[in-house]
Amino acid sequence: MPWIVHNLWLIPGLPLLAAAITALCKQRSRTLSASLAIGAMVLAFGLACVAFLQTLNKPAGSETFREVFNFTWLQFGTASVQLGWVLDPLTAVMAMMVTFVGLLIFIFSVGYMAHDENFTRFFCFLSLFAGAMLGVVIANSLLLLFISWELVGLTSYLLIGFWYHKPSAAAAAKKAFITTRVGDIGLFIGMLWLYGASGTLLFYDGGNGCLETGALAKMVAMTTSVGMAASTAIGLLIFCGAVGKSGQVPLHVWLPDAMEGPTPVSALIHAATMVAAGVFLVARVYPLMSAGGAADVVPATLQVVTWVGAITAVFAACIAVAQNDIKRILAYSTVSQLGYMMMGLGVGGVVVGMFHLITHAFFKALLFLGSGSVIHGCHEEQDIRRMGGLRKYMPVTFATYAVGMLALCGVPLFFSGFWSKDEILHAAHGWPASHGPFYLGAAGALLTAFYMTRQVCYVFLGSYRGSVRGSAAVTSHGAHPAGSHPSLHAGGQVPHESPPVMTWPLVILAFFAVVLGFVGTPAWPWFQSYLGGEKLEFDFAKLTEGGVLFLMLLSALIVFAGIGLGWWLYGRQPAASAEGPDALERIRPDIFGLLRGKFYVDELYEATVIYFNAWWAGVCDFFDRWVWGGAVRAVSYLALGLSWLDRALDEYVVNLGFDQVCLGLRRDGGWMSLVQNGQVQRYLSIIGLALTVLVLLLIWGIKPS
Amino acid sequence: MSYLELFKLVVPETILVVAVLVVLAVDLLVMREQPVRYRLLLGGAITCMGCVAAFLWLGGSQLQANFPDGAGLLVVDPLTNLVKQVVLALTVFTVVLSLDSHFTEHVGEYFALLLLATLGMMFLISSEDVLMIFLSLELLSLSLYILTAFNKRNIRSAEAALKYFLFGGMAAAFTLFGLSLLYGLTGATNLHQIADALKGTAVKSHFIDPLLVLALVMVVAGFGFKIAAVPFHLWAPDAYQGAPTPSAALIASGSKVASFFILAKVMMLGFAGVEGSGAWRNFASGWVPLLTVVALGSMVVGNLVAIVQSSVRRLLAYSAIAQGGYMLLAIIAHDPQTFPSLLYYVATYGLTIVGAFGVVAVVEENAGDDHLAAFAGLSRRSPVLSFCMLIFMLSLAGIPPLAGFFGKFYLFTTALNADPQHFGLLWLVLLAIGLSAVSLYYYLMVLKQIYVAEPAAHGPVVAVPFASQVALTLLALGVVVLGCAPSLLLDTFQAAIRLAGS
Repeated sequence: MPWIVHNLWLIPGLPLLAAAITALCKQRSRTLSASLAIGAMVLAFGLACVAFLQTLNKPAGSETFREVFNFTWLQFGTASVQLGWVLDPLTAVMAMMVTFVGLLIFIFSVGYMAHDENFTRFFCFLSLFAGAMLGVVIANSLLLLFISWELVGLTSYLLIGFWYHKPSAAAAAKKAFITTRVGDIGLFIGMLWLYGASGTLLFYDGGNGCLETGALAKMVAMTTSVGMAASTAIGLLIFCGAVGKSGQVPLHVWLPDAMEGPTPVSALIHAATMVAAGVFLVARVYPLMSAGGAADVVPATLQVVTWVGAITAVFAACIAVAQNDIKRILAYSTVSQLGYMMMGLGVGGVVVGMFHLITHAFFKALLFLGSGSVIHGCHEEQDIRRMGGLRKYMPVTFATYAVGMLALCGVPLFFSGFWSKDEILHAAHGWPASHGPFYLGAAGALLTAFYMTRQVCYVFLGSYRGSVRGSAAVTSHGAHPAGSHPSLHAGGQVPHESPPVMTWPLVILAFFAVVLGFVGTPAWPWFQSYLGGEKLEFDFAKLTEGGVLFLMLLSALIVFAGIGLGWWLYGRQPAASAEGPDALERIRPDIFGLLRGKFYVDELYEATVIYFNAWWAGVCDFFDRWVWGGAVRAVSYLALGLSWLDRALDEYVVNLGFDQVCLGLRRDGGWMSLVQNGQVQRYLSIIGLALTVLVLLLIWGIKPS
Repeated sequence: MSYLELFKLVVPETILVVAVLVVLAVDLLVMREQPVRYRLLLGGAITCMGCVAAFLWLGGSQLQANFPDGAGLLVVDPLTNLVKQVVLALTVFTVVLSLDSHFTEHVGEYFALLLLATLGMMFLISSEDVLMIFLSLELLSLSLYILTAFNKRNIRSAEAALKYFLFGGMAAAFTLFGLSLLYGLTGATNLHQIADALKGTAVKSHFIDPLLVLALVMVVAGFGFKIAAVPFHLWAPDAYQGAPTPSAALIASGSKVASFFILAKVMMLGFAGVEGSGAWRNFASGWVPLLTVVALGSMVVGNLVAIVQSSVRRLLAYSAIAQGGYMLLAIIAHDPQTFPSLLYYVATYGLTIVGAFGVVAVVEENAGDDHLAAFAGLSRRSPVLSFCMLIFMLSLAGIPPLAGFFGKFYLFTTALNADPQHFGLLWLVLLAIGLSAVSLYYYLMVLKQIYVAEPAAHGPVVAVPFASQVALTLLALGVVVLGCAPSLLLDTFQAAIRLAGS
């Protein structure tokens, strides 16, 4: 077993160690905490590279394609709980991505958080998050994955609520935690069921793991009471966890709100890594998800995954069209792209979904960091209507942001998003179950191009509208992170470019946003063959085969249509003032209102789930207060009554009885002492009497012996 | 047996007689003009020297004899020697306690009578013949009558002595009548011979002669008088209250030790075979049920009447009656094991009661009377004295780890074990334990006065004479040591009983 497999735990271990050390540091030790976090990430990235090299050129099915290291954690009776880690291409590429993007975001944070007084705490949480996320990545046991998964949830909560003095941030943190927990319940039940059905939680264990053929066949054969195979039911339950974590409909509501956290957090957690954990989970347990399927039969699990993903893609894209907060647009975009990934997993398998995950991680991190740079440059302004013309003030940010935007839109040939998205659409087109997801995906692509164009037009084109912010009318989304950033630049000053520590990560990410697309083109599908462990062939002919070219053209057309529409509406005549109505709003205010209101999902939840919860809490409170509490009070009154009775008995029966006895003894003593009257005549007569009585007594007692 | 050999047997008694003569002669001839204090000191010294000399002789004596030729007029063996030593020790303590008293100017006579009383006790201990027993009893009693009356300036002393004398005289008359009946029945005066004769008649006639019952009751009346057992106790409260304190202490301690010893001997030896039974619902005529009734009465009356006493001396008198009841239990059980427990109990009781009377004497000297109120706040006025009293009272009540506790415990245990099959005495033991609990009440009443009650305005400090202080401290120490290590005394008694072969 290679050294790296044995010591794979170091990849999450190092950031965890950094977090632990930072947690013990003083609040002022900024340099130390940042150096520790970044150093740990550099080392982890190095190890991930080693792991990556280890997995190169390992054909699927060979001994070394997937190497595991397992150990027993707990032993109870004959059953045992085993943990372990696995090194395969999926782990390696994910670990590479997480460590690399994480590293860049860490570096970016040094600049972005420079003025925050809780700089040390921030890096502690970041390192903890990185450790937990990498734990999810390397886990070879659903239990270890779940533990790390929950740690990820915890750090997400901590980081969203990092500026906890802002009520909106605190609320968002709570919302994120609780909403993802809803999904996690499914995951937890699925995990228990999986353990019950297969007897192990290890994914791969030399033929005994729960994702290997033996266990899968067993679970497919099992049917539940509703006629569903156990594997399907477990798969759906595990997918619940993924839905929560990856912000799929209907549990997507937390992700936009999570933008209350510092922007690097948004980039790291809510764009590149954590939200991808759901996708990664589905990819990890893909054998379980696809169990029971045949060549033309799509298993129910994958159908659900596909439809949820497709709907989410369009749904979130629609909402993104009408948002004004720069980070919220990106948040809904993220939700939408995660939907794409899910759809990709459903229609095309692990490689399709994962390819989009990787490319998306880079360009979405780029976009988030870019938006961070914009926010930083515009003095914590987040409303795109109050920006404009930033192209002139922030050239580097603009250039890199444009690359990210084009990659996200999927502009053909030179941007990675095109290749990964095209792969998904191609797989969706060939999906045997339905063509619905394909059309939804295409619609989503159009909308994506449209809203990204709208955003770029608002932010970078036209003229700067920030100086006219009269009454500092801050939208509900654009609240200042009060106290975190001393308002050195009062409103009205011109925007400025960010320092190099922030722009260099942008440049690097932009480079990868372009380049990564070329590792997975149909002509040279290196990424696909690497993940799948297949033989790699370089073949331009693939580009023209099986309708690929047609689909690419169609996709390009859609993208250009979206960009063109956006340009026509927003680019031609950039908005002159921040207060004017949106171009689309002028055309169809009703639809725009609906979209701006996010389809009123939050309100729906407010009116149903939360209202029911409050009502139910009221009912429970009533029961607790009056029924159970009444019972408890009744018992306590009973006890009180008994103790009163006891006391009365004690005082009036026992004590009084004792007192009476004592009194009686005294009285008898007094009475007896009357005999002692001092008269010797009396004494002598008593002797005589006593003698007589004693003699009579003894004579009476004589028995023939 | 030559007179020389007989003389060797009575050397301790002879020493005491010489001491009587010396103390009289010295006091009357030499010290007549000296202050009472010096006369007391010198007389006391001579008395103590006589007692100590007798004590030491007894300690070194290896003689064992029954004069004349087993007739029991004078029995000398390790057991009698030991009991005599106990009596002598108690006498010494009594003497020390009287060194600072002011009740008399007739010092020579006082010490002479004290010694004569002790002499009576010693002869009593040594006899196994009813005539000799009666003579010794009379010597003891007459000395004690006079000692009781010795405070001529106090009318209560005279009154108490008169009651004691009249009561004692009547009791002696009954005893003599009983003994003569016994002689008539058996034709013997030696206890062993009496027992043999009684066994013979009992075996022949299958039931107890009513005449024997009469004799038994009358003999018991005499001894009951000496040990102040109900219903022959009536003299005791008056005598304890009226007598000079050292006299009362001697009556309560030394006299009791000797009396219990001889009572046990008379009952167990002389009336062996006519025990009867005092077991619950198994009453059978004999001396056991007779003593059971007496013990029962003593415990009940003693403990209950003690509660209502306001005079500490009378309280001690009733407590002594009650304690006599407990001790009778050992005789009632008449088992080889109960005899040492009785001796241990009575010896430690003697030490304790001498100490208690010593404290009473000091307080009375200061406060003028012996009422409970006189003890109020004593702990603030004289802590050492109070602490001694604390030990004596708690020992009398039977609180661990004091001698009184172990005495009671061992006595009750052996009494129960005497009849391990039926626990026939269980009811009496349970009653005794219950009444011991009652007794705690009046003992604590004294301690409450000492430790809780506020001291009276006058007399900030109680002056404790040096001799009394030493004697009381030694007594308290003895009570504690014998309580913690009872085997010191108990083993000696058991060894002596084994050697005496009785």
